[in-house]
Amino acid sequence: MAREQALANSEKAETHRHFDMEVLIGYILLVGVLLSVALLIIGLLWRWARTGNLRFHHALVGMNFFEFVLTSLRQMASHDLRPRVMVNMGIAVLMLTPFVRVLASVFYFALVERNWKYTLFTGFVLGVLSYSLFLR
Amino acid sequence: MSFHILFLVSILAGFVGAMSGMGGGVILIPVLTFLGMDIKNAIAVSIVSVIATSSGSASAYVRDRITNLKVGMFLEMFTIVGALAGAAITLVSGRRFLFILFGVVLLSSWFALFRQRHEGWRPTICQDPFSHWLELHGSYYDQSIQETLSYHGTRAYLGGPLMFGAGMIAGLLGIGAGALKVLIHDLVMRLPPKVSTTTSNLIIGVTALAGTSVYLSAGMIDPGLAAPVILGVVFGATLGTRLLVRLTNQMVRRIFLGVLLILGVEMIIRGVAGV
Repeated sequence: MAREQALANSEKAETHRHFDMEVLIGYILLVGVLLSVALLIIGLLWRWARTGNLRFHHALVGMNFFEFVLTSLRQMASHDLRPRVMVNMGIAVLMLTPFVRVLASVFYFALVERNWKYTLFTGFVLGVLSYSLFLR
Repeated sequence: MSFHILFLVSILAGFVGAMSGMGGGVILIPVLTFLGMDIKNAIAVSIVSVIATSSGSASAYVRDRITNLKVGMFLEMFTIVGALAGAAITLVSGRRFLFILFGVVLLSSWFALFRQRHEGWRPTICQDPFSHWLELHGSYYDQSIQETLSYHGTRAYLGGPLMFGAGMIAGLLGIGAGALKVLIHDLVMRLPPKVSTTTSNLIIGVTALAGTSVYLSAGMIDPGLAAPVILGVVFGATLGTRLLVRLTNQMVRRIFLGVLLILGVEMIIRGVAGV
């Protein structure tokens, strides 16, 4: 027990430093999910107000994340498709939430903690995720 | 399938998932397939909703400082690669295989949860050099015993590769695979139970994103289906987390164990019979 205590004390100096990182990550996740849910609700209600029907189908042809966002935004021009664009944006924001969390971690480890080991690890995660978003 | 049924099923899945700490996918996918949805579409739609539930709950746990970010970020490297591989396998594999695998995973989760009930946490005495190099240690304030617990994660060299497997299952079946991740955290890396569940929550979000992007690129994510499922699961999970504080843990566990067992056996039977 005494040994545990000693170890804990020696690490205290280190642990209190990621104070900011925890707040940052916590809020990125929270804001991302809330924004996504809000967009989905707006999209569905808008569609319901316009057509009286909540259920809609639209098969997506295989496309990567960026094509998905771009084609959705292009549909903004069409009056009828706007509710659907909201729903698509809700899904896009949801997908970006963990991505932005990883991006913020890379910067935090690199610039604030100056922990190169973890900058490299999170950088790898960011790289793989970016690759997967470009996947076709 | 009508919007209302989809929404209600998702609320139920999110609710039960949050109460049991297993996530919504394990309930959602079997129920959607019983209602006639193709298992691959159910998997694709479920994995999007997993991003939402995991990010939502992780945000609270991270701010409470229970989650160990370094453990999470080290293990993520393995789970995301696993998830990409798993999702790619799902795209080409047969449906019966998916049913059987899903059943097997449900039954092993059942076994893991069943076992966990009798296990107490023992702190690591001696941390191996690799885990030490990875800085896998931390401390958190445990409200139930009103004490700050410090701990050392160990055997990261084994935990990492095993996490690749957990990520692969997650990508393959469209679930968070939280039970598997928690099991690795507990048994291999010796993290305290609260740290292992909350850290696995953080990892699940990015793992699900990797899987989602594969399904999106295959054209399998229908936003019209995904929207009610995401909303329902998030809504149900929020309700479940609120109620969790009031109900006894034993009761919840017992109900959930029963549900898991039934669903697991059902899925295997359907896979074998080829429905």
